[in-house]
Amino acid sequence: MSRQFSMVVELDRCIGCHGCQVACKFENNIALGTSRCHTYYMGPVGEFPHLSLYYMTIHCQQCENPSCIEVCPTGACYKSEEDGVIYIDRETCIGCQSCMRACPFHANNFNKELRVMDKCTLCVELREKGQTPACVWNCVGGALHYGDINDPESEVSKLLKENEGHIYTLKDDNDNKPSGRFILKKHEWIDMLPFEFEEALRGGKLG
Amino acid sequence: MSENKPFQDDYCAKINIEGLPDALCGRTFLTPCEKQHLEVTDEEHIVYTACRACIANCGVIAHVKNGQVVKLEGNPADPMSKGRMCAKGLSGINALYHPNRNKYPMVRVGNRGEGRWKRVTWDEALDTVAGMLMEIREKYGAECVFTSTGGGGNPEVPSAGRFANIFGTPNWFEPGSAQCYMPRVLACAMMYGGSDTSIADSNCLEFFDEKNCPIKSLVLWGTDPSYSCPASGGRMVNELRQKGVKTVVVDPRLTPDAAKADVWLPLRPQSDVALQMCWIRYILDHKLYDEEFVLHWTNLPYLVDCETRFIVHPAMGQTENKTSALIWDKKTGSAREMEYPWNDDYDVELFGTHEIDGKLYKTGAQLLWERVEEYTLEKAGELCLLDPADIEKAIRIYAENTPSSLCLGVATDQNVMSEQSPMAANTLDFLLGNVEKPGVAMQRFRISGVLKEPNYPVPYALKCLPEEQFKKRLGGREHKGLSIWKAGHAASILKAIQTGKPYQPRMWVDRSGNKFGVLAEVGKWAEATEKLDYIVHMFTYPTSMTAYADVVLPCQEWLETEMIVETCNTLVARQQVVHLWETRDETLIWSNIAKRCAQMGHEMCQKAFDPEFMGEDIAYWDSMEEFFDQMTAAIGMTWKELCAKAPFEFMSKEEWKTYYVYKNILEDGKPQGFNTPSKKIEIYCDAYIKLGRTGEPFMPYPMPPADKDYEPLPYFIEPPESPMVDDEISREFPLVMTNGRLPMFHHSTLRNMPGLREMMPVPELWIYPDDAKKYGIEPESWVWIESPRGKTRAKAYVTKGIRPGTVCMERFWNPETLNTETHGWQEMNVNVLSRSTGPFNDVMGTHILRGYLVKVYPADSAPKGIWTKPSDFRSWLTVGRS
Repeated sequence: MSRQFSMVVELDRCIGCHGCQVACKFENNIALGTSRCHTYYMGPVGEFPHLSLYYMTIHCQQCENPSCIEVCPTGACYKSEEDGVIYIDRETCIGCQSCMRACPFHANNFNKELRVMDKCTLCVELREKGQTPACVWNCVGGALHYGDINDPESEVSKLLKENEGHIYTLKDDNDNKPSGRFILKKHEWIDMLPFEFEEALRGGKLG
Repeated sequence: MSENKPFQDDYCAKINIEGLPDALCGRTFLTPCEKQHLEVTDEEHIVYTACRACIANCGVIAHVKNGQVVKLEGNPADPMSKGRMCAKGLSGINALYHPNRNKYPMVRVGNRGEGRWKRVTWDEALDTVAGMLMEIREKYGAECVFTSTGGGGNPEVPSAGRFANIFGTPNWFEPGSAQCYMPRVLACAMMYGGSDTSIADSNCLEFFDEKNCPIKSLVLWGTDPSYSCPASGGRMVNELRQKGVKTVVVDPRLTPDAAKADVWLPLRPQSDVALQMCWIRYILDHKLYDEEFVLHWTNLPYLVDCETRFIVHPAMGQTENKTSALIWDKKTGSAREMEYPWNDDYDVELFGTHEIDGKLYKTGAQLLWERVEEYTLEKAGELCLLDPADIEKAIRIYAENTPSSLCLGVATDQNVMSEQSPMAANTLDFLLGNVEKPGVAMQRFRISGVLKEPNYPVPYALKCLPEEQFKKRLGGREHKGLSIWKAGHAASILKAIQTGKPYQPRMWVDRSGNKFGVLAEVGKWAEATEKLDYIVHMFTYPTSMTAYADVVLPCQEWLETEMIVETCNTLVARQQVVHLWETRDETLIWSNIAKRCAQMGHEMCQKAFDPEFMGEDIAYWDSMEEFFDQMTAAIGMTWKELCAKAPFEFMSKEEWKTYYVYKNILEDGKPQGFNTPSKKIEIYCDAYIKLGRTGEPFMPYPMPPADKDYEPLPYFIEPPESPMVDDEISREFPLVMTNGRLPMFHHSTLRNMPGLREMMPVPELWIYPDDAKKYGIEPESWVWIESPRGKTRAKAYVTKGIRPGTVCMERFWNPETLNTETHGWQEMNVNVLSRSTGPFNDVMGTHILRGYLVKVYPADSAPKGIWTKPSDFRSWLTVGRS
């Protein structure tokens, strides 16, 4: 099986501090108003005071069947055979933003300055130097992990095996086959896309 | 493979020194620079330092390229943060290279608030400030000067107090202190004599050895480590939870820690002490306390003279011996004198009332029981608006899963029961025997000896303040608890400015992140500035305070400052990574001012530079190195040597962790006991009565008694504004306001950080859905919040994560409107609503920052001129490449 690097997130460990977003911003010089990862508030829901709330950090899901690549007119957006990560070649990207519209997870963003798309590469520059992606390194809760989910010997595969029965992927209506994995034990999984859920909850449209 | 070159709109673009002057033109607060004090080399290197974006000191690896800080990351060698950094700390690069830094000393040339400044040299600025100080002292007396510090942003808190003492004024304050942390410090000093249980203040060191720490349950009471100190305390608590430690969170707000707790008790703000007394009652009633510890190591079995309310020490008078006390021996049915520590001949009674020679005596335990007896689960449920079954479940978790600990946060420091709450919280840990055993917060571990006060090394030099000046301390007689930090009383200082009584303060020297974001009823302070002849403000960038200032002195960001940091068994050096502009460390600035006063003939300032005279208080210093060398000498190193070696373990973890210090046998063959007069844990703390009457043990001179005795045991009263009391105020203002930390800000700092403001551009008002509906508040809409003292705006966050009837808004101000008539503090600032008038906490003088009453109603629009879109914050980015 080919290599598939992606994020594995232990949601019970995420304390909603947004440190990953800021670490990513500095590491990758991300423009204001955009980000490669985002922490959503999955709650509170339920009857006060017995409420449920967990935090959920979303990166690019490095899909097996990525709709962003499918719609890219120039081939700038591609999935690397080497690590299964999706990259955007900035020389080829024409900034049409088709991929942004195609991504069901809102995981990529448009840089107005360079007129190109931008997305999580699992900090490829750091990984090439043998270092850890900035968000993972800085995660205060130890919630973020990355690795090859197709390699049964990888740390993330072991972590997933240990937590069998508690593993979730993002709601996938478009058959994108997201590679991101979420481990959640202490709360009930909310099967909505995080941005849709958060927006609806904050807007008073959910119980 | 993509070529991931930086964007032009770089988030942390490399600073272009040559381009800087152009980029700065047209900014009112700035003067184009002629010279950048930045050492530029071609080398790329790393510096091991420590963060100070909040009061934690997380270890940091700073990457420096061509003389510029290009990357920050956590240092895994730090035993508390273990290699992690939070959003606040990571923003250090933005803070350092912020275009709106205070860069040079400046004096005002226009009217106050006009924003017209003249750049001056440090010599000129110090001459001006010292000249003002000497003039006020000459004309009106040194007490008419007051100093202040705090507000976040790397404060060296005692520096402002030391300068005040040496200059001869008893008036310095921190908006924190009486409202933040000091009540807890005092309660621990009085009752125990060891470390307090504040996670956010870098205590609870035992817990940071998460893997080995045997704690079984943890109560987080009015504290939210995952928001206040994510990388250190937040991370640690998370690890404890992961290994199965049960947690209880007491907080009206559903914080991340509350969301992950086994029991969340969203109590009514300000009802904390009622709930704590209920817990005490339950633990006594159900005999869940550690009887062996309570009998042998607390003063609860000691007999109290019900008339004097003091514990009877029979040997007192002849020997000053407070360690022997009267107990009731059940075997002989008589009162007996018991020598410290214990006498096995007696069958010591814990609860009892006895008449001896016509006088009434009760044991401390009896008095404690009588104090808490009415606080049943049902009564606490009514007062705190909680389900009694949930309260009971929480108590059982804490009391039946020991070792356990109760960690108190800032919430209880901000209301009229600020001292009673830590007294009650400590009592709970004492009753369960959660003291100095493995797995508990209260410990007296060893220290390196470099610092006497952890991380605040500057000695207060109280001896420099003459007795007649000391006695002029505003609020000092009434609120003697402040004297543990030798502090004055902010609300009394404000009143003196307003009324001229007992004398008129005339000059304010302040170092803070924005007093107008953190003081209570800031509108009154703004008015008060009109009565002040001179105002000096020192900070790293302009704040609202700048608009009222006559002189501005540029302070250093944490990446420019130096400090010795002791973190668990490790010494870390905050090192100067780079130095920009003409900024100076505040610790040095106060010394510089004292030196100029000395040159102008101030005798005590002259003596303050004499090492022989100053002794342990240390002579003032001309450089940070000179200052630190005097401390690092304790371990046979110079500051430079320490910097080169740090971080390093000064002793092994095993040597450092000293459990059961009280059991150490001393030369007299007796155990060491605790740092209290009786050497026992003083749950019945009659030392409070003595403190209120005389100022002992903290005041160097006897002070007349407070109007009313301080209580030796905790008590609960309804706050002056309460939804439980039907009166005019509660009818007009039906909601209770509280505050709570956010992970992107610390105190009043960091509102000028683009990457943090884009996440939280405006303050949110947390309001329960039913309340929002009742008051016509739409989700995400603008609202007015009004208290009897003022009104302000915020954006509604309609959520079940706040208890019904309560609203929550964190502190805020708007750096983008500094140069408008609001000076940034009037748009969206919860502290225009808070309460600076009495009643205050008796011991501490605490005024009310949380738990007062408000009403809310829809607002038509956002305040004028505020920034809300991410692109608005662009001009605060690091100056871009040309």
